[in-house]
Amino acid sequence: MENQSNASEKRPQGGSNESGGLLNSTFLPPFSLKGWLFVLAGLVPALIVGWVVFPMVLYSSQQQPFNFSHVVHTNPDIGIEGETEQELCMYCHYFREDGTFVGIPGMDTCTMCHDDPEFPYGQTEDEKIFLEQYVAEGKEVPWLVYSDQPECVYFSHIAHVKMGGLTCGQCHGDHGRSETLPVYKENRLTGYSIDIWGRNIAGYSKNIKPAEAGMYETEDDEQYLRTIETEQGEETYHIKMSSMKMDDCAECHTIHHQEQNNACFVCHK
Amino acid sequence: MEINRRNFIQLLAGGAAGIHMTPLPWKLMDDIAIWTQNNWPWVPKPEKGRFDHEKSVCTLCPGGCGIEVRKVGDRAVKIEGRTDYPVNPGGICPLGAGGLQLLYDETIRFTSPMKRVGPRGAGQFTAISWSEALATLAERIGMLRKEGRPEALAAVDGNRRGNAEGTLIRRLLESVGSPNYFRMPSIEDTYTTANLLMQGNPGPMAYDLENADYILSVGPALIEGWGAPGRVIAAWGRWHESSNGNGPKVVQVESRASNTASKSDGWVAPRPGTEAALALGLAHVMIREKLVDLSFLSNYTHGFEDWTDEEGRNRKGFRSMVLDGYAPAEVEGITGVSADRIVAIGREFGKAKSPLALYGKGKGNLNGSLLECMAVQSLNALKGNINKPGGAVVQEGLPVASWADVSPDAVAARGLETGRLNGSGSPRLPLSESLVENLSRAVLESNGTPPVDTLLVFAANPVYTLPDGGAFGKALGKIPFIVSFSPFRDETAAMADLILPDHTNLEKLEDVVWPTGLQYPFLGLSRPVVRPLYKTRHSGDAVIALAGKIGDPVAAAFPWGGFEEALKERLRGLAESPGLTSWDESKPAWETFARGRSVSPDYDSFDDLWDQLESSGFWYRPTHAFYTWLSCFRTPSGKFEFASGRLEQAVKAAAGGDAGDGLRKMGVEAVGDQAYMPHYEQTLSGDGEEGLKLVPYELFNVSTDRLPNPPFLTKTLFDTQLRKDESFVKMNPATADRLGLEQGERIRIQSDAGEVKARVDRFEGAMPGYLYLPMGFGHTAYGIYQKGKGVNPMNLVAAGKDPLSGQSVWWSARVRVSKA
Repeated sequence: MENQSNASEKRPQGGSNESGGLLNSTFLPPFSLKGWLFVLAGLVPALIVGWVVFPMVLYSSQQQPFNFSHVVHTNPDIGIEGETEQELCMYCHYFREDGTFVGIPGMDTCTMCHDDPEFPYGQTEDEKIFLEQYVAEGKEVPWLVYSDQPECVYFSHIAHVKMGGLTCGQCHGDHGRSETLPVYKENRLTGYSIDIWGRNIAGYSKNIKPAEAGMYETEDDEQYLRTIETEQGEETYHIKMSSMKMDDCAECHTIHHQEQNNACFVCHK
Repeated sequence: MEINRRNFIQLLAGGAAGIHMTPLPWKLMDDIAIWTQNNWPWVPKPEKGRFDHEKSVCTLCPGGCGIEVRKVGDRAVKIEGRTDYPVNPGGICPLGAGGLQLLYDETIRFTSPMKRVGPRGAGQFTAISWSEALATLAERIGMLRKEGRPEALAAVDGNRRGNAEGTLIRRLLESVGSPNYFRMPSIEDTYTTANLLMQGNPGPMAYDLENADYILSVGPALIEGWGAPGRVIAAWGRWHESSNGNGPKVVQVESRASNTASKSDGWVAPRPGTEAALALGLAHVMIREKLVDLSFLSNYTHGFEDWTDEEGRNRKGFRSMVLDGYAPAEVEGITGVSADRIVAIGREFGKAKSPLALYGKGKGNLNGSLLECMAVQSLNALKGNINKPGGAVVQEGLPVASWADVSPDAVAARGLETGRLNGSGSPRLPLSESLVENLSRAVLESNGTPPVDTLLVFAANPVYTLPDGGAFGKALGKIPFIVSFSPFRDETAAMADLILPDHTNLEKLEDVVWPTGLQYPFLGLSRPVVRPLYKTRHSGDAVIALAGKIGDPVAAAFPWGGFEEALKERLRGLAESPGLTSWDESKPAWETFARGRSVSPDYDSFDDLWDQLESSGFWYRPTHAFYTWLSCFRTPSGKFEFASGRLEQAVKAAAGGDAGDGLRKMGVEAVGDQAYMPHYEQTLSGDGEEGLKLVPYELFNVSTDRLPNPPFLTKTLFDTQLRKDESFVKMNPATADRLGLEQGERIRIQSDAGEVKARVDRFEGAMPGYLYLPMGFGHTAYGIYQKGKGVNPMNLVAAGKDPLSGQSVWWSARVRVSKA
């Protein structure tokens, strides 16, 4: 003990000795104020690099070939029919006869209305690009797909929409009301879109949580409330996925008492 | 401010701590893990795009299962079984599922017509155009006709009996003037000949196994690829699912503990080649204990009791023959199966209501033994289980239309009169249509000008698959011009001078006639699900184009614009016959079939039928006129014949009077009346004293026929089947001990025909004294995943001839073993 305290006293001390008090707590190293400043000088930039620079570097940002407004297209006045929001979505994003989901519709769906490159329905610059470069040329639009899952994943839309009764927005968010398409961000390492692997880079799930009274007041929020029958009675959850990773799938399955669907071969055929 | 070493370390520590409080290290670790899984050239990644499912029929084996191919854009990505197909509701075999690798592996395929540039067998070719390729061949055939020897054109064909392409090829030879069309051997040969001899019509074997209540399976690899694999496995599942234990009992007769034998309710292991004796031993028990259908036997069969022929001679019947010669104790001596077991199985079979005895040899890619097949069929007759639900159904074949007859010109007519090179159809071998082995012999034994000048090979790889100890390959060396229509770079194609590559299974329109063993008439239409990837051409189209280039009168025999037109003309026959092109999935076709109610067709014209065939992919008739025993047999006696009148006529014709001589010529050792009845004769290949015998066997998950094995399937093998490039031979530990062989030891196996090296797998399920070597390995052609993997047991098998049929005995061959 004696030896140790002697050694401590002999240690060269940088800066002032007045830095007792708080910083001399037993839980922290006995650094001087200057020492702590250096620690902070390392810590803060590291935090900035990790939280701000790293996501910017990790993800590339790509623009879609041209902008597409969902709001314009879900307007019943232009001929897109559907009584519920879901039906409006499914006017273009429909199920084929064999039950497969069409995803981002092909040009054949677009040209049900935009069938003549000479007669535009609107006058925006984006529509001009669409008509001149794609409709007139008979080319498919090379959309960047936010929801492309890895090849090893089999996902059935119809099982979730028809059997599970999920609304489009619960997984995809409010796209139906958007004016512009989000920037497509691709992970430079994995090649997957940021929308699949998590908007929240820290990986904290805030997708699904039990609803509390008075917590959701706006109409927007209410549509993500979902009442689930359990043995203990009814429970209400707020379900709005912000990413589509395996854990998110499992979390939602568990809440819906569909744990059997968390088995490997349900998704990885 | 002075920065000392301590401050610097404090800075780093702060940075390190800070980084760990951000997602950077954790996210990076996760992403790098994903990156390592994604970025390798061997990870298959289908294109992104719209998914489609296209329905078709698998043509990789004669089973003809319905398949559904998942496509992304134009790329086929997965083959699955079709649930809306009556034959195989949803099921598919490993080869069918692995079929994509046969389509997309460019290294095993011919991508355009080719001509040989290197020495024969080296596989060096240079691409040529289709018109040049066809012109070369047409000119050569034209020359043969000019020289007045059209019979020097020969064809070896692996197509199923009675499908449109095979019929078209036979027609080409007929119109040119050559009788030398040879079909590759298969179990169908044995079935149709047995049916001809006992039932009078050379129809397909039709086993109503789903409705039987006792299954005695003599040889077929029931759940390992026999028949339509999807159908049999589904039936097997139902038999064993039955919760009340009332499912039929399945007894497998086979010398090796195969998967089928292991999973059966009973396993009987006779020595290979003695199955006929076992069947007759069971017949002995049934007759002795009166467990037979006496009313059927007395009214609808001929030759059961002793009888008197037209010339007034007393003839011995099946009953006396079996009671005198096949007592269980004697059969035990022949087969090695204990007399008690024979009695027990005989009683079980005799006491069942509709017991069905099935005959086969493995998957059925090669012929069986005619006498064995007849002996097994006589068990069904003893129980009257012929042309009954749950029995062996008497079928006539598909009601397809025939094309107009060929009218040969003088050259062709003369050529057609020459004898066939394999001797089949001659008085000596009246019962076999094609004996490719004899063709090899005729070529090898010829002096001077070889009897075959130009050989066409279709849908077959005889150099590899024939159990002839390599004779076919040697014969090719003497044939001046060889043309291969194979889509694959197989062993036979490597010897060819000209390659006219066919499409592969998923690129080709084909009629799939009557899946092996199916109880009701069935025709599947295999439609192309992808556009041809390379400059290949449908062999049917190639034959029609070739005929056009040869010119009249050959061209006149092929009035069609292409194969599809010819096929349609042939299928017109179906439209005039009742049948269905749709199936209600809730009613299994075998249930509907057993009810025997009439079927009203769901089409009213041929065009209607064709449209439906194109969409559904099948035509079938799930009904039958059962119990028509007065009219269904077309034998000389009009009854089911234990003593075959047709055989007796054939023997007389062969001998020119002396029956014994005729029988000897047909390879039959038995004398007297039993020679015309199902009886036991030893079938074994190779000369020499008694000793070790080799049994080649097939694996469900290896392509054992003409097709290359998809690499996916090689991954499913155990390392006691194939390890690296070495085959394993299974032998009983007792045999291995006698020979002083340890597990994994390398040995040399020799026969009169050849020699191979393999490693020892000591296996309790192997019969002592027999060596079991898997088929499907030892290729010398195709690509890196097939070439040099293991050894081909067919290199050791040669010379044995099955009595009556004259086909090869490949299921047992004498061999010698030494340490390597």
